[in-house]
Amino acid sequence: MLGGVTDDDRVFRALADPTRRFLLDLLFTRDGRTLTELESELEMSRFGAMKHLRVLEEAGLVVTRRSGREKLHFLNPVPIRLIHDRWIDKYRVRQVSALAELKTELEETA
Amino acid sequence: MTTTTAPATQVYQVFIRATPDAIWEAITTPAFTERYFHGSRIEITPAGRRSLGPDGEVRGDSRVLEFDPPRKLVHGWQSLYDPELAEEEPSRVTWEIEPKRRGYCKLTVTHDQLEGAPKTAESVYGEGWMMVISGLKTLLETGNGLDG
Repeated sequence: MLGGVTDDDRVFRALADPTRRFLLDLLFTRDGRTLTELESELEMSRFGAMKHLRVLEEAGLVVTRRSGREKLHFLNPVPIRLIHDRWIDKYRVRQVSALAELKTELEETA
Repeated sequence: MTTTTAPATQVYQVFIRATPDAIWEAITTPAFTERYFHGSRIEITPAGRRSLGPDGEVRGDSRVLEFDPPRKLVHGWQSLYDPELAEEEPSRVTWEIEPKRRGYCKLTVTHDQLEGAPKTAESVYGEGWMMVISGLKTLLETGNGLDG
């Protein structure tokens, strides 16, 4: 999918902002919050908070559900997991195996 | 360090490149579920949801509350695979499949009503459901289970 904006692009863009990372951390500590609750933790207008939440929602990092009259925001950890599997695990495995090889080599020569 | 307890409502969402029918089949048919759901053979019909382990042991046996193929499925959840978890109150799992653009569907899994089942909430939280959901995505998009 070279060329278009991919799901990964949206996730990385959403994460490239301290306010949005803070919002995710807030939901991680307690999930299922209203806009009013989240806004009260930020030093910005309701409109500003809404804009950030919309970016997170478009990236799939936040999912909203209706509960009675309230709209609750939930953290969706799946996109971060997929990025982890695709971008982090791969490089970590190589690093770990390089360390393992070094260990074997050192032990053999000792 | 902040300690977080697993929430009583958990939401997981993923985009899958597959038709709603294919996703529905993968959720409700034992030959599919055993390839991504911790090896469990899960059969879901309007009559109920039954999950069997590799040796035929019953891992789950719950009511089906809504059966609307290929869009929405709601069933009860009780973790019968662990005696301590089996004692807790039943909770609820909702699967919603929404077709999106370019052959993708949005799958949302909500595990809620976990207030009376804190240990179950803890055991399925994060890694538990994510392994299942990313396994389902991989299976449908590549034809492979996570270990295959």
